[in-house]
Amino acid sequence: MARRLRGFTLSDQAVGVLFMVPFVLTALFFMVYPIVEAVRMAFFSYNPLRPDLSAFVGLSNFSYIFDDQLFWTSFWQATVWTSFSIVFQTLFGVAIALLLHQALPGIAIFRGLLLFPYIVPTVVIALIWRWIFNPEIGIVNYALLAGGVISERIYWLSTPEMAMASTIMLNVWKYTPFVVICVLARLQSVPLELYDAAKVDGAGVVRRFIDVTLPQLREVLIVVVVFRTIWTFNKFEEIYLLTKGGPGTSTFNLAVYAFEQSIANLKLGVGAATGVIMMIMLSIGSVIYLRSAGFAREETHG
Amino acid sequence: MTIKRREFLAGTAATGLLGAFAAPSLAQSTKSGTVRVWGEPGPYGGVAVAAMNEWAQKNAPGLKFEIETIPWDGVYVKLMTDLAARRPPALISVESPLAMQLMAEELLVPLDDVADKVGRDRLVPGLKWDFWGAWKGKQYVIPAHHQPHLLLVRTDITRELGLTDPDTWTWIDLANVARTISQKKPEVAGICMALGRNLCTDYHFAALLHQAGGRMFAQENKFEVTFDSAETAEALEFVRELHQFMPKGAVEYSFLQVVDAHVTGRTAMSFYWGRTLGRAAEEAKPVFEATEAFNHARHPKTGRRSNWNDFQGWIIPAQNNPYIDEVKQALTYQQTSKEWLVKYCHSLMPNVAPVYKDVADSAELKNHPFYSSKSKTVDTYFKASLEHSSSTANEMLKGVNPLAGFVHGRSVLAQTVQKVVIDKMAPRDAAKWGARELDTIRKENMRLIG
Repeated sequence: MARRLRGFTLSDQAVGVLFMVPFVLTALFFMVYPIVEAVRMAFFSYNPLRPDLSAFVGLSNFSYIFDDQLFWTSFWQATVWTSFSIVFQTLFGVAIALLLHQALPGIAIFRGLLLFPYIVPTVVIALIWRWIFNPEIGIVNYALLAGGVISERIYWLSTPEMAMASTIMLNVWKYTPFVVICVLARLQSVPLELYDAAKVDGAGVVRRFIDVTLPQLREVLIVVVVFRTIWTFNKFEEIYLLTKGGPGTSTFNLAVYAFEQSIANLKLGVGAATGVIMMIMLSIGSVIYLRSAGFAREETHG
Repeated sequence: MTIKRREFLAGTAATGLLGAFAAPSLAQSTKSGTVRVWGEPGPYGGVAVAAMNEWAQKNAPGLKFEIETIPWDGVYVKLMTDLAARRPPALISVESPLAMQLMAEELLVPLDDVADKVGRDRLVPGLKWDFWGAWKGKQYVIPAHHQPHLLLVRTDITRELGLTDPDTWTWIDLANVARTISQKKPEVAGICMALGRNLCTDYHFAALLHQAGGRMFAQENKFEVTFDSAETAEALEFVRELHQFMPKGAVEYSFLQVVDAHVTGRTAMSFYWGRTLGRAAEEAKPVFEATEAFNHARHPKTGRRSNWNDFQGWIIPAQNNPYIDEVKQALTYQQTSKEWLVKYCHSLMPNVAPVYKDVADSAELKNHPFYSSKSKTVDTYFKASLEHSSSTANEMLKGVNPLAGFVHGRSVLAQTVQKVVIDKMAPRDAAKWGARELDTIRKENMRLIG
């Protein structure tokens, strides 16, 4: 069917293409071009202050990275930070979504409030958390001391273990609402008949959760875990703003490592190569995870 | 009578208009726009810009100078990203290690003509133009101030505990005093310095390294790395000893946290620049009254009392800078106005020390309440510390070091310190680690040092 627009006649296909053009252009400019440029730069030495000295260096940026102990330390720490963050976000996200799924008066207010950590800019959150975690004047230590939970101040950001735990806590607090929203949306579309049938069969609350709710949430959780893993693994600003990768380099992840190489060391090529390695790692990890989780198997085998 | 900083600054603009020197006779500029100026946190950058705006009103009515304050720990990143993005400010007040790096990279405008107009013979005895930044026979940096970090001591506490005069202390005494205070006054840390992975730790540790007689590089020998030494290990060992008497959070402290610790009474001693006293005067009168600054404790063998004196100066980026001529003229105007330079120093006493004789010796400079309430401390910051000046950009004043900016960009010294205090590495091994990092920097930047 053709459409008339001020004397022009466009086919449905042409209208579709027209609507896609802004997205395609945006994606080309803001996604494809930077990725291509990063891949290109990964094979060059590039000092941003002296672009005139740029030179093709083959694989030496990658060789530098793989020989650098800090890269492997950062990779391990990124894995720890991502794993704990995702596990806790998923557990808390599902639990909170189940609570908010109850038809209680005023529940909409709680659902709205829950979005607060997610919508506040990260820089604001990180600065607030720095105050919250301040060992001398922070409210967390004050509350714990006042409540008799601890007898000595905890130095939240001053030891490697506590700093890592604190960055994980921040990440979990900020992004659990994303999991809640996704899971809650799915919960609201689960047919009630399934629960009724399970009740008739004598299933209790736990049984109904395991046999009805979880299978219904499976696909959304797979997607949420993939997205959250990619986003968390790549995360830069929370760690940088909260700990700057410290104390020492104990909270470096690969994004902070790439930043340090690019800006502090003025090795943009090494920073770009780190980004390429991260992209490859995440692509491989995502494919393996989606395959092993059987995502969209029905459609594939349709 | 005390002058509050805000009141002082409010008066600055008004009196400046009335009392400024006449501008050098220059052709009027027809350019228009905002001239971006970068300065470190503190009111003095704003005072300098007020002087430049006074010049602009008379000579370039279409221009407005605006100060942008860059936090110390953000200076390196901000500079590198903005220079790389080809949008530098027109004028920068910057610490000497970065100035040295940028001038060696040939990214700055030579300022010999400005230096000639400012007056090459005006410097306070003991200072040289090279300290701010001269390279291959050209002057690239115009002095803004000099700024040493010293040993700040709560004399009420040392008196109460019957401790000796801090001016007589060696490293051994300093450690003993810190221990005594920690033991007898458990609510107060004995001493505080920055131990975080940041610029402040670099500067604090560098002073100890130089006191011990160690250096990062041997300028006289093509910048050979000399960091893997007994002196470095000794300085690291001393940090480890002092660490026991510091606030537990010190391993993440940077500039602000050290000031906070002293001003809020959480430490009896600290390494810091004059800013601590300026803030204490406004926020914690008893701390201000009880605190005095001393040259650092002597190293027991070398006798050295090195500080980290920042010869902070004005630089003009050469590329993508449309206002080079105007900035040179405005800078000359500010630098030749004794009145504006006095205001600059007064804006945060005693943090920024005068560098020109006519300013340092002027009656106007001494017309500040700190000269009566803290005369010895002010004198130590401004004059008595000069003989102990050192910095990473000019180690033990043995020559300009263009590699220092890279060292601080990568926080090599701070990381070395953290290897000892966090990772519990042996000082000797940490010194080896640091030396390897410095050697990498040297090899990567041989083009700068020839």
